[in-house]
Amino acid sequence: METSSIPQTSTVLKTLLRADFTTQWRNRRAVILTLIVPVIILMTWKPLIKITGGPFVLSNSIVLGLIATGLMGYSNSIARDRDKGIFQRLRVAPISAWSIMTSRILVQLTMIVILTTAVFVIGNSYDQVTLTAGGYIITYFTAIVGGTVYLSLGQMIVGRIKNPETVNATVRLVYFLFIMGGMLGELLVVQDPKYKMLGDIIKWSPYGTVRMILAAGMDPAKWNNDASMALLATIGYAAICAFLGIKWFKWNTK
Amino acid sequence: MKADNILTVEGLSVSYGNFNAVQNVSFDVRKGEIFGLLGPNGAGKTSTLSAVEGLLKPQAGAITVDGYDALSKPLHARASLGVQLQSTSFQPELYVIEVLQLYAGVYGVPASKDQLMGILREINLADSAMKKYGELSGGQQQRVSLVIATIHNPKLVLLDEPTTGLDPQSRRQLWERIEAIRERGHAVLLTTHSMEEAEAVCDRIAIIDHGKVIAIDTPQNMIDKHRDDPEVIAVSRRGKITLEDVFIALTGKAVRE
Repeated sequence: METSSIPQTSTVLKTLLRADFTTQWRNRRAVILTLIVPVIILMTWKPLIKITGGPFVLSNSIVLGLIATGLMGYSNSIARDRDKGIFQRLRVAPISAWSIMTSRILVQLTMIVILTTAVFVIGNSYDQVTLTAGGYIITYFTAIVGGTVYLSLGQMIVGRIKNPETVNATVRLVYFLFIMGGMLGELLVVQDPKYKMLGDIIKWSPYGTVRMILAAGMDPAKWNNDASMALLATIGYAAICAFLGIKWFKWNTK
Repeated sequence: MKADNILTVEGLSVSYGNFNAVQNVSFDVRKGEIFGLLGPNGAGKTSTLSAVEGLLKPQAGAITVDGYDALSKPLHARASLGVQLQSTSFQPELYVIEVLQLYAGVYGVPASKDQLMGILREINLADSAMKKYGELSGGQQQRVSLVIATIHNPKLVLLDEPTTGLDPQSRRQLWERIEAIRERGHAVLLTTHSMEEAEAVCDRIAIIDHGKVIAIDTPQNMIDKHRDDPEVIAVSRRGKITLEDVFIALTGKAVRE
């Protein structure tokens, strides 16, 4: 078994992906926890569907799942592995840093697809919300685009904060703020003309823009100028957070 | 770089902000030798090793591994290196056999599960293949870690304080494994606090203090060279001069944090 040549990128990625997916599978209890809130929303908001429409409920449900995946799943796993020196051990192997991160991100993108599928299935079977084929396809796309906002926000948090416990506390706080400010804010404030300014802030926040593109994607016929602007804003949020997250990120905690 | 050198470090300097951890350090490791880097806490041993491993970028100097410039061709250099970090950790969710599979893959070693089980049998850990790394004892973890460091048959193995926390039996066993690596024709660069270890396994040693190399020689030559120094005699405890006496005389008695 002698080799001193650089391994092929495809072999490295395949190996890293197998390990990362195995790790994710063994952490399935944590994965299930990230799915709980979206499922609760789907079930408890069933009466709202008649008033707000299916896409509103489904998009809120997916957004919260995306936030949980990007913040709690991704950030915490990166913070833990960095703290334990797992990345340092990988980095002394003849592999590029980007392949380590690519594997991690691909696992999270797969989680986003699974989450979106779960919401579609439960939304269809429990809430009787059915989308067009185009709606399903576009929503997978918008879910991935939206998911990158929270993944890059998670990257930013884990780039700025080194201690894994502090990362965990911070992402929980941000998650809570998104639930309160985003989901409840949209329900209570955005609809009320008295709070127009606050409503606009929520609407164009990383929560609001992602929810807007998801909802618009579910009903492509209603895709409007606001949805296009929200898509641009979403891409902008993702780009800014990713830039800062990569810039700040250190591979070790020293 | 001399033909028989597997590693050459020239004028290496590493800084953390205003703190100069490594200053103009030069040494080489020859093929088939065990080279020890000795120094008190914070002397710059791990920083030197980290620069060789490519984990940090030096402010100045050159590092050549197996003919490759480690700064401009880090992947080529790393392919020739086997590394055991001071505190190695693997994904806690993975079984030992899966960790081996992962590192065989990232080093581009085509190894079947049977071959990996054979490796675990060699280190008496076949029964632990389906255990998680964290469930192993300290000695078992060291064996797994060392086997991973050498899974691709590297020309140079870097071991950062490999025997820290091991009981005497495990330490002796590890020394034998390190010597076995040399017998297979590979070079070893290790850092250690243990003078006993340096005397027992190292062909040559470098003493590093305050980021500078202050002596390089074989352990015996170093003892012989400093045997009559008044500072060495003053710190000697049992009449017989040891490497530890020389080390303390050269680096001072003050405890480092």
